[in-house]
Amino acid sequence: MGNFFEKHRAKLNASALVFILVIPFFLYAAAIHGAIFQVKLFLALMIGTMLFVLTKG
Amino acid sequence: MTDVFIVKWLFALSPILMVLVLMIFNNWSGSRAGAAGWFVSLIMATFFFGAHLELIAYSQMKGVLLSLNVLYIIWAALLLYHVVNETGAIRAIGIGIQRFSGDKSIQILIFGWIFASFLQGVAGYGVPIAVVAPLLVALGFSPVVSVAVPAIGHSWSVTFGSMGASFQALMAVSGLESSYLAPWSAVLLGIATFLCGIFAVYVYGGWKMVNHSLRAILIIGTVMAGTQYLLSVSGMWTLGGFGASLAGLCSGLAVAKLKVYNQAPSSQAQPQMGLWWALTAYLILIVIVSAGVMIPSVKAFLGQVKLSFTFPEIISLKGWVIKAGKGKAINIFGHGGALLLYSSIISFFVYRSKGFYEPRALKTILQKTVKSGVPTSLGIVSMVCFAMIMDHCQMIYILAEGISRVFGSIYPLVAPWIGLLGAFMTGSNTNSNVVFGVLQQETAHLAGLSAALILAAQTTGGALGSMITPAKILVGCSTVGLAGKEGPVLKTTLRYGLVITGIIGIITALASLVI
Repeated sequence: MGNFFEKHRAKLNASALVFILVIPFFLYAAAIHGAIFQVKLFLALMIGTMLFVLTKG
Repeated sequence: MTDVFIVKWLFALSPILMVLVLMIFNNWSGSRAGAAGWFVSLIMATFFFGAHLELIAYSQMKGVLLSLNVLYIIWAALLLYHVVNETGAIRAIGIGIQRFSGDKSIQILIFGWIFASFLQGVAGYGVPIAVVAPLLVALGFSPVVSVAVPAIGHSWSVTFGSMGASFQALMAVSGLESSYLAPWSAVLLGIATFLCGIFAVYVYGGWKMVNHSLRAILIIGTVMAGTQYLLSVSGMWTLGGFGASLAGLCSGLAVAKLKVYNQAPSSQAQPQMGLWWALTAYLILIVIVSAGVMIPSVKAFLGQVKLSFTFPEIISLKGWVIKAGKGKAINIFGHGGALLLYSSIISFFVYRSKGFYEPRALKTILQKTVKSGVPTSLGIVSMVCFAMIMDHCQMIYILAEGISRVFGSIYPLVAPWIGLLGAFMTGSNTNSNVVFGVLQQETAHLAGLSAALILAAQTTGGALGSMITPAKILVGCSTVGLAGKEGPVLKTTLRYGLVITGIIGIITALASLVI
């Protein structure tokens, strides 16, 4: 698992960047329409992505 | 009551403190430390400052809009740098400059002060030190001096360098216009220009060498500081660092011909392209940015498409109100980043038509751009996003209130030190402005001081922090065989960084008495 992360580190970091830049747009859309479940869902995705950056970034 | 405020203040400080500790003591990258700061701010905001789901959602969207404004410039600047560097043009510019004088003090000034600033103007992110340090070693300077000199010399140009990315960040987080922020920023950075030149020479040859080169420092410094001021106050702040250093390069080469400095060059290395061809990309950049900024019809045409989002009023569970309004708009085709992108594309085709590229150069350029851009971007986005959470939950206001209570009227003395600390802990002037820009603005407001002056001190301190940023020192040391022996370099740059920041603090305090 560790080898996988090391081998694909650059691509995974680039993907994390894309996620961090895109998820807030969905968060905004969900919040503006009052869709609390979607806000929670996208916030969980944001937390997951940040967790990846924190541990493997 | 005071105790409660202190606890709240410490809670509000915790995300910043976390980033600081992880980067300084644990050597974490900006992206990882930024993510850690994001988690701490999320936890603190939720449990102690009344954050709720909608507040966090909107704050993240605002954070991304601010980030995109900065990243647009950073990615385009990196692309332009690699488009140029892949032709060998950066090395050709270095060799071209070297031919002008064999005087050591002039070489220090031209390479370590002017050329390093020029590289900061077009690229930044450690490139000036990484490129100039090996050139100075090749000229016979010691490795420690070769890294320390460009680190000190280029710092003044960081805010308006990299096509003004740091200044853009300052405007983005403060919500203030360039016409309000630029004059004082240019004045303080102009003073730093002279100080950086003086200490760059001092590192090599002490006061005797400073005395010998004083005339050159005064002439070139005046040209660079003056050009930077004129460009930034006239709205062309994206070209502030680049234009100033280009003007400095011209004046430096003229000064090198003065009798007192006119010695035969020690090296006869031949560049693989002429100086004018090497500078072509930057000439294209000047034309495009000038047209995009100064010709109203072009500016209006490019400014037709803007990405903008409207936000409702947000009230935290503790009653902190963020007014409704539009988030930071992104001018898709007229943004500084877009102008850089046009310049990169045109320059690529010009160089390719002249056969300056190896086969598959485009793939190499794009790979290098992505490789250098992703880590920087992750750091910026995570830090901007946690700064936005803090801003939306009153945390930054509480920090500012605490600082203004403690320092009060002598706060201007402290302002540049906060910028310096931010750059040291986050690795860049841009990040420093993002993390501390709003804090400084709020503190200035509470202390009844000019926000323009305090934010100028913030960004000047942040720019000077570039000379002591561990990541940049590491990059420089790795290019001259000092990997693992960064201590002496950091010790040298730290000493002069603190002195220059102290002087800027005093000047800021004096200025605050008259405005």
